[in-house]
Amino acid sequence: MISSIFFYSTAFVLFLIGLFGVLTRKNIIKILVSLSITETAVNLFLVTVGYIKNGKAPILTNTIGSIGMNNLKFVDPLPQALVLTAIVIGLGTTALSLVIAIKLYKNYGTLNITKMGGKR
Amino acid sequence: MKKTEFLTGSFIALTLVVLLGVFFFQALFQPSYEGKVMPIDNVNLKDRVSLHYVLKNVNDASKYLATNGMRYFNNRSSVPSKTITFGKTKNLEEGSANEVTSIVVNYRGFDTLGEVTVLFISIIGLTMLIGGVKEKKLRMPSVIVRTGSKFLFPFILLFGVYIFIHGHLTPGGGFPGGAVIASGFLLLLLGLENFKFNTTVSKVIESLAGVTFVGIGLVGLFMKNSFLANFIPTGTIGFLYSAGMVALIYIVVGIKVGAELSTGVAELKEGNKND
Repeated sequence: MISSIFFYSTAFVLFLIGLFGVLTRKNIIKILVSLSITETAVNLFLVTVGYIKNGKAPILTNTIGSIGMNNLKFVDPLPQALVLTAIVIGLGTTALSLVIAIKLYKNYGTLNITKMGGKR
Repeated sequence: MKKTEFLTGSFIALTLVVLLGVFFFQALFQPSYEGKVMPIDNVNLKDRVSLHYVLKNVNDASKYLATNGMRYFNNRSSVPSKTITFGKTKNLEEGSANEVTSIVVNYRGFDTLGEVTVLFISIIGLTMLIGGVKEKKLRMPSVIVRTGSKFLFPFILLFGVYIFIHGHLTPGGGFPGGAVIASGFLLLLLGLENFKFNTTVSKVIESLAGVTFVGIGLVGLFMKNSFLANFIPTGTIGFLYSAGMVALIYIVVGIKVGAELSTGVAELKEGNKND
């Protein structure tokens, strides 16, 4: 069984990679990719908070049979529900920001944020 | 000049990121917090609020909290609960076998209404902003793509519908099902060059689905005195006709998300004609 410290560390490293990308890149598309990486890191962190050792996916099936107070076999389903919401909202924001990037490219003829602004 | 500026900027960013990383990791490896051992690797579901979501005794838990007050927080396990058996247990307060679905649609259904609204607003923004971007001539698709997309489209649609109808039993639900349906329309848009996606019809379908979602919530308000309350008997856990309004809401959400994402994809490909 993998310790959840591994998942926490992966989430932190992904978050820092995304932050570094947002801070240093000049290309809008690359900034958006970095933002998506950060988002994935936060989602992974939230799912890891609900991780329980030897826990199964929180879906009652024929093989799991029954659950009760004395045989709780599941991981925590609440963070997974929150992440489901976060993924959909991430999709919406990514689509909107990509359209804004298209408009900026049409307007200035470049995706480099340092060359934007001023005269057309 | 430019090069050195970029290098110093990267160096400052790297220092910031490393400092933040040290801060994160020392929090992870701190052995204790206020004298308690951090439960990183031995989390128990009995210490979590989700215990009641899993055992489906949220109403009993709130009654217990009202009568016993703060004592509830030290003995959550003494809230009455029963063993739930797949395919046997009947008439629970919430009847879906998928616990995540039970939280997303039933216990936190209002959250999902907000989520659907956010997606709706972002697609409206996309439609508004894309105006004025002209359609580019795409290269003609090959024979394999043209025949394959026509052949595969009904099956993709069927798979999407299967995912959102079984949302309360298996992994998936309205949002993945809708995304699968939108991917089917994307395949048609890329595969057939004279395929016209009617965005007006899809917008009407989407709005009707949204109104139905709110309508189901209002029926719950009038019948059970609470918005989005379950007003249909929950049936036997694990059966297709179970979980009351959860299945109904996930079907509505699947149709809504499918229509919404298809509209977004079609607008991105064709641009806006009323420019």
